[in-house]
Amino acid sequence: MNPHQLVFWILSVIAIGGALGVILSRNPVASVLFLIVTFFAVSGHYILLNAQFLAIVNIIVYAGAIMVLFLYVIMLMNLNGDVEPQKSKLLQFAGIISGGILFLVLLAAFKTTQLSTTPINASTSIGLISELGQVLFTRFVFPFEISSILFLSAMVGAVVIGKKD
Amino acid sequence: MILIITASIIGVVLLFASFLLKHTSSLLHLVTVLFAALFGVAIWEALQPTAILTQSFYLDAIRVDRFTNQFNVLITGCLFLYILLMKKHIAAVGKYKAEYFALIAFIMVGIFMLSSFNSLLVMFLGIEIVSIPQYILAGSDKENLKSTEASLKYFLMGAFSTGFLLMGITLLYGATGNFMVSEFNFLQATSINPIALGGVLLLIVAFGFKVSAAPMHLWTPDVYDGTPTPFTAFMATIVKVAAFVGFMRLFQTSFTAISSSWSLVLAVVIALTLFVGNITAVFQQSVKRMLAYSSIAQAGFMLFAIISLNAIGRQGMLVYTVAYSVASICFFAILIKMKDYTYDGFNGLAKKQPFIAALATIYMLSLAGIPLTGGFMAKYYMLKAVLFEGSYMWLAIFALLMAAVSVYYYFKVIIAMYFKEGEAAMIDSFTKEEKLYLTIGALALLVVGIFPSLLTGTI
Amino acid sequence: MLLLSIDWSFIIEKLILISVILGASLGVATYATWGERKVAAWMQDRKGPSRAGPFGLLQPIADGIKLFFKEEIIPNDANRFLFILGPSLAMLTACMASAVVPWGPSIELESGRVIALQVADINIGILYVFGVVSVGVYGIMLGGWASNNKYSLMGSVRAASQAISYELAMGISLIALLMMTGTLSLAEIVNQQHGFWENGWFTWNVAKQPLGFIIFLVCAFAELNRAPFDLPEAESELVAGYHTEYSSMKLGFYLFAEYVNLFISSAILITLFFGGYNFPFMDQVAGSVSPVVFSIICVLVLLTKTIMMILFFMFIRWTIPRFRYDQLMNLGWKSLIPLALVNMLITGAIIIWVLN
Repeated sequence: MNPHQLVFWILSVIAIGGALGVILSRNPVASVLFLIVTFFAVSGHYILLNAQFLAIVNIIVYAGAIMVLFLYVIMLMNLNGDVEPQKSKLLQFAGIISGGILFLVLLAAFKTTQLSTTPINASTSIGLISELGQVLFTRFVFPFEISSILFLSAMVGAVVIGKKD
Repeated sequence: MILIITASIIGVVLLFASFLLKHTSSLLHLVTVLFAALFGVAIWEALQPTAILTQSFYLDAIRVDRFTNQFNVLITGCLFLYILLMKKHIAAVGKYKAEYFALIAFIMVGIFMLSSFNSLLVMFLGIEIVSIPQYILAGSDKENLKSTEASLKYFLMGAFSTGFLLMGITLLYGATGNFMVSEFNFLQATSINPIALGGVLLLIVAFGFKVSAAPMHLWTPDVYDGTPTPFTAFMATIVKVAAFVGFMRLFQTSFTAISSSWSLVLAVVIALTLFVGNITAVFQQSVKRMLAYSSIAQAGFMLFAIISLNAIGRQGMLVYTVAYSVASICFFAILIKMKDYTYDGFNGLAKKQPFIAALATIYMLSLAGIPLTGGFMAKYYMLKAVLFEGSYMWLAIFALLMAAVSVYYYFKVIIAMYFKEGEAAMIDSFTKEEKLYLTIGALALLVVGIFPSLLTGTI
Repeated sequence: MLLLSIDWSFIIEKLILISVILGASLGVATYATWGERKVAAWMQDRKGPSRAGPFGLLQPIADGIKLFFKEEIIPNDANRFLFILGPSLAMLTACMASAVVPWGPSIELESGRVIALQVADINIGILYVFGVVSVGVYGIMLGGWASNNKYSLMGSVRAASQAISYELAMGISLIALLMMTGTLSLAEIVNQQHGFWENGWFTWNVAKQPLGFIIFLVCAFAELNRAPFDLPEAESELVAGYHTEYSSMKLGFYLFAEYVNLFISSAILITLFFGGYNFPFMDQVAGSVSPVVFSIICVLVLLTKTIMMILFFMFIRWTIPRFRYDQLMNLGWKSLIPLALVNMLITGAIIIWVLN
């Protein structure tokens, strides 16, 4: 096992553990903190792929901005473990069954797929910011530019919904 | 292609208009002109000599073909009718009049993307551009708790389904290494990649949510009921049809060869949708809620276009676009004037407003699928498409049965208008123009019902 | 020295560098507290700390010892884990940002080995700093919330909204700078500002991006929770804001992290806008002394500039009164962000039409 693999396994354990923590912990603040841990682990995976830009943007945007707002709302509303509504046993059971079935289907899909063992022939600089900029403004220029419409409408929406009449 | 740019510009212009134009009337004039221009651009694009060819733009990110052009003309036509009928009501919803129209223009951008995408990224963005403004429109009546509830419910469920969509796209990308729907390499049924099948399954769930197909339909009644009526009329018709077109485009271009793997799932979804939509609609007291369930029921029919995977299904989609959207929009335009949204509110409308009652009858007949109306032709094409494919006879029979059930609740409105005594109270009367637009809608339904080849002949 | 396919001498070299940088930043931060009190005293026409040692120079050490030996109180209703995590995170993130600052030019030893005076020259450079800063707000938020105290909560909520609001303007003003430099790597940015004067214009970025610098500076004040933006700990309204309930060394960590942050952000400001370790006539100096001495001179130049920047921060603190919360938000969203956008637009136009 080389250091690369070692780091990969450690990060994976942290990521999955954090994700489980998000859904299993009763306290919403703890959930948010677990989610942040997960984001960090995922960023670690990005760095292993040498996608440095993606890794840091994941931290700045998700861990640093969105999760702060989550925490902000949870703190202001003073949500605690005991405020959380208790779902009925039947609903929980149904959730577990359907989620489990989906999990099984996907697991089976991955199990039976012949994954090609030949690594994708990509240069190591593919995740760096200059390469990313090149691709965004050439191959993916249409999705990139049109997403501005999405953000514009979301901003308009924030004003329309949020502003006092 | 120019259509996407035009719609974006219209949205931006309207945002500027919101603080430059002080008077509502001048804003409404501007809105009419702008959306008429959009309709004009759609027609202009469809009349280009190149319109019958398949053209690709932006490194193949979008691909405009004949169907796209025809659909764009029809949908912008429906939108224009909607704007003409509803603009006053939209402006009355809340304070941010111009913003509502701008959001509608942005939704149109998403709709044009859904009718022309060739890359999964564009499809995803299209769906999001269609969805996010809808969450806002649903919650635009801030005084009303039901509207806020509708918005939040729609947003949460929509975000959840977006998760499915993204996961599906991820799996497809993982299996094929490609975002381009026209060149998925699992097109050959011999080398099906199980991961891709998982992706297809998740995509069915995500699209099923967007078109409110049965087990994913639970948000629909509450959202349609809580949303301010002018926006319900938009969401339940134009947007929904566009989601269907996106659904159909993806599945027909990419997943035809592996249809045996997913069509049974979709068949069950269709049966459930038809059953749930029609049976629940029977028990509704409010006409608005009935229309929400009927939109689920109609979704069941529209899903036939996706399962049948042939040209007849595509033609049926176009007919359905007009028949369903026009009838629903026009009926909503009448409903919005009623004081009481229950069936009893329609009692005795025929005596008071015989003309309006007659028009409403045409819309209801069309929605129920009675011959000579567009609705009949739409259902006919859909059934023909699925029978042509051959393997889903039982589904067609079940659909006919359910169509018979639907007659019950659509006729309940007609019965209330003609055969029940009562004072159908209106909030305000119809202006001459509104009557004209409503008549145009009814005529369109009849023309489509008698000469459907006007819409389908060229495909 | 290859074991487990890892170059151990490289690791040892970096470890030494990290220790030195950490020690130096802690030392500078320690004396920044002394400096702050001296500056305040000077501006208010008093003497300031003057008893412990000559000029009160031993005062910070005495303060440190005092904080260590104070009784440690954790409120009954506080969330213990988060209560301790808060100041730890604040300290951790404060120290982390120093990793990408180039403290001096690389030294080339006679053996051919190159020792970089930068812990990591990563490709994303300045974005790393942003990442660390954006995570840094958790220290304040968690601590304030875990204290289970209204004032603390108010303080932490203010800190969070302030940090997020000003990060935007900061990022956009930085984009304009990055458009001119064409790189995110701080080492590269410093190299581009070599010397002082070249081709008839200043090489330092402050002369190329004056508006960007001002926006960045204002945002840095806000991100650091320094006066005039010290609303999270506005003592006249919130007692002491997020650290009301803190005592002993946990309080010390919060206060200390603030000064470490001050030092690091001053260093980054200098690196980005004031040429980093570059100084006028550095080529002539480099020619006349040995590389090691030259590197030391460069490090000293950087430190001098940084200390001047810190002093500037202190002068502002004792000059301008605190903003009100709505003024803070208005300034951030309605002035700085549009200004930064305009700056970006102008920069883009100049790059396209003038520089090409």
